[in-house]
Amino acid sequence: MITSVKVILLALVLSLAAASVVLAAVACDLNDADRDVPRLFRESTSYKVVYVSIGERGGAPLLKRIENRLGSAYLQLYAPIDVPYTLYEIYRNKEKVGYIHGVNQKGQFGGIQIFMAQDLAGKVKSFYIQKISGKSAGKFREAAFVKKFVGISLKDFDSYDPVSGKGSGKIAEIPNPAPEMETDFYGVLRGLKKNLVLMNEFVFTSERGKP
Amino acid sequence: MTVSDVLLEARDLTRLYTRGSEAIRAVDGVSLTIRRGEFVSFMGRSGSGKTTLVNLLGCLDNPTGGELDLAGRKIFGEGKPLGERDLTRVRRELFGYIFQNFYLIHTLTVRENVALPLAFYRKAGVEDEVERLLKMLGMEHRMDHLPGQISGGEMQRVAIARALVNRPEILLADEPTGNLDTKRSEEIGDILQELNRNGALTIIMVSHNPDLARLGGRRIEMRDGRAYES
Amino acid sequence: MITPFQIACKNLLRKKVRTCLTLVGIMLSTWVMVSLFGFNEGYEKALNRDIENMGYQLMVMAKGCPYEAATMMLQGGKGLRYMEQSMVNDIIKEPEVEKVTPILMQAYFDPNKGESGGIAGYFGVDPASYPAMKPFFRFRAGGWFHDPAAAEVVMGYEAAELEQREVGDLTLVPEKNVQLKVVGILERTGTQDDGTIFVPLKKLQQIAGTDKITTVGIKVKKDADMAKLETKLYQLKDVQVVSFSQVKQTILKLIATARVMVLSIAIVAILIAMVGVINTVLMSVLERVQEIGILKTMGAMPGDIFLLVWTETLIICSVGGIAGIGFALLFARVTDILVRRILPYAPGGGLVAINARMSLLTLGTIVAVGLLSGLYPAWRAGRVRPLESIRREG
Repeated sequence: MITSVKVILLALVLSLAAASVVLAAVACDLNDADRDVPRLFRESTSYKVVYVSIGERGGAPLLKRIENRLGSAYLQLYAPIDVPYTLYEIYRNKEKVGYIHGVNQKGQFGGIQIFMAQDLAGKVKSFYIQKISGKSAGKFREAAFVKKFVGISLKDFDSYDPVSGKGSGKIAEIPNPAPEMETDFYGVLRGLKKNLVLMNEFVFTSERGKP
Repeated sequence: MTVSDVLLEARDLTRLYTRGSEAIRAVDGVSLTIRRGEFVSFMGRSGSGKTTLVNLLGCLDNPTGGELDLAGRKIFGEGKPLGERDLTRVRRELFGYIFQNFYLIHTLTVRENVALPLAFYRKAGVEDEVERLLKMLGMEHRMDHLPGQISGGEMQRVAIARALVNRPEILLADEPTGNLDTKRSEEIGDILQELNRNGALTIIMVSHNPDLARLGGRRIEMRDGRAYES
Repeated sequence: MITPFQIACKNLLRKKVRTCLTLVGIMLSTWVMVSLFGFNEGYEKALNRDIENMGYQLMVMAKGCPYEAATMMLQGGKGLRYMEQSMVNDIIKEPEVEKVTPILMQAYFDPNKGESGGIAGYFGVDPASYPAMKPFFRFRAGGWFHDPAAAEVVMGYEAAELEQREVGDLTLVPEKNVQLKVVGILERTGTQDDGTIFVPLKKLQQIAGTDKITTVGIKVKKDADMAKLETKLYQLKDVQVVSFSQVKQTILKLIATARVMVLSIAIVAILIAMVGVINTVLMSVLERVQEIGILKTMGAMPGDIFLLVWTETLIICSVGGIAGIGFALLFARVTDILVRRILPYAPGGGLVAINARMSLLTLGTIVAVGLLSGLYPAWRAGRVRPLESIRREG
């Protein structure tokens, strides 16, 4: 009797372990959403977490379209087609007012996690680097640098290429706060573009298509 | 009559049975001598003791008393009954048996049935006996048939061939035609007589068929366990 | 000429249906037995493999020291206490110990992690002894360190994913600002190793400015008494012992339970086969009393008859046994799937492992049991007296 109970327990433990492995594949989450959401989106009263994957939104054709729009090996998605992206839908009372979404981007010494809050028009409301590694990494998280991204939208990348670092417009004017970490500076800009492209495909394109 | 002519000598052979508290003398002090080449018929009514006597003479059973010598060897008479093993040794050296019911094995062919004794015991020089005997008994065309495919008379011929395959000294036949019609009985009788005359085979036969019994040069009548030469 | 073996075969063919049914019975019993033995062996192997893969089953660490990476990170690495590396030499002397490995855990504060900073944990491991403790580690890319003091890291699957690292990339130890090169990335294991960053022990000691360690991982010999070892280890000064022995004990109990279960079913299978054989052979002997008597008048000795009947048993058991083994081999995969459905916990790999030795052993058992079952009928047959079988009125 005792043995059989143990057998069942062991089975449970092992199957739970297997389940947790599956869940661990979620891409990029806020560490503490209850605290981070109001900070990134001041007028929010509540939020809803939605999982979106390229696989279910449009499959291989969508993946191809996104990759074409990103255009470069430096902007790889690093994730299989069915990995769910975490999308925070932001509400003021019962009205949807915007989104928060994060992406992973490769930096020189570690992953960079770039979150942005967007209004319903797709404009950046606030910008947050949750994680970045390097000696002067803190400079990328300073308010003065972060503020420069407010108001940017996908359109601004039409005149600027974050891979070559050439172009003009709003983004070209943003100075690198830590010149010794050039790789990470461009990493931030590339991550931002990737984030904007994904949001455009996941949310804004499909919402425009709605009757 | 010389001593070497004597093949079988019984002295005061007795076989007692007990049925409840009653003792029955199935064979009651029978003494007789059979010489090589004799054809002896035992006759008598049911219960006369003829089969019991022949079983004793043929070493199928131990007597309760008396002596039996076979081919100059003392078989019974030492006071102790012989075990299965010893009886088998005597039987396979000296006897061939045929019975009313043939007892052929139905899954074996005629040839295999005849060869069956050789699977257990084989005298020197009997290799060709199977075919020779079957030919001699007119069964060469039936060698590969199964017993179910041949007639009763043919079955008894096969049984005779089987009994003779190890070249026994004595053929013991217990009611060999009991299951056959007159014509077939006569055929079997002729074969036995032929084996006795030309093959110099000693035959001990039990039969209550007077015509068949008459084939024997010697006839012994059994009554109440006693033997009367006629 | 006809041989006793041929006679036995022909006897069996006489009652085809009965012989067939007995054959099927023996075949099924053998099938069950081979599959069970195969399962027993395969299951035991698979479970032992699982135990092997658990790596070390005991950890010794300084009292009060957190032993899980998660706890260490929650405490910001403040709870770490150290012990002398010579402790390893004391522990390896214990007869129950198979292998030991020294470990140094370190945690550094990274201000650029999350809103208010976070902890980065590092595992300093000895490249000579640690990999043997984790034989189930598979590399997705790269491999272990090139040098015992190399400025290199091996990353768990999730750690590498989070840091977006590939082999050849650099990482930076926060606080210390030491650059390390990624030389290996592990496959997912489903354990906390997935989130771990491994550094050569000497390198991490150098970074931390210590020659001490925090933990000793101990792999216990297969059949050693783990409780006894734990008691002994507690005698060491200022240490605590963390044991995963419960899991091992449970697995060992599973093996023992499976063995008892398998043996009981096998015994039942043998008994069923035995009764079947006795029944068939005894029936065929009783039916053939007359015939056996006649064989005796033809010169067959009691031993000949005994052997004849025993040969029949041997033929039935051998043919049935071989057929059963054939079926077991043929349907091993199906058995595997069925067993997996029934068992609450089935380890990975082949569960039903049938090999030649086991097949021959089962065949031997079935034949031996068959011959044993044939003993009585054969003895009865040998004792038949010709007179009884042909007795009529006299």
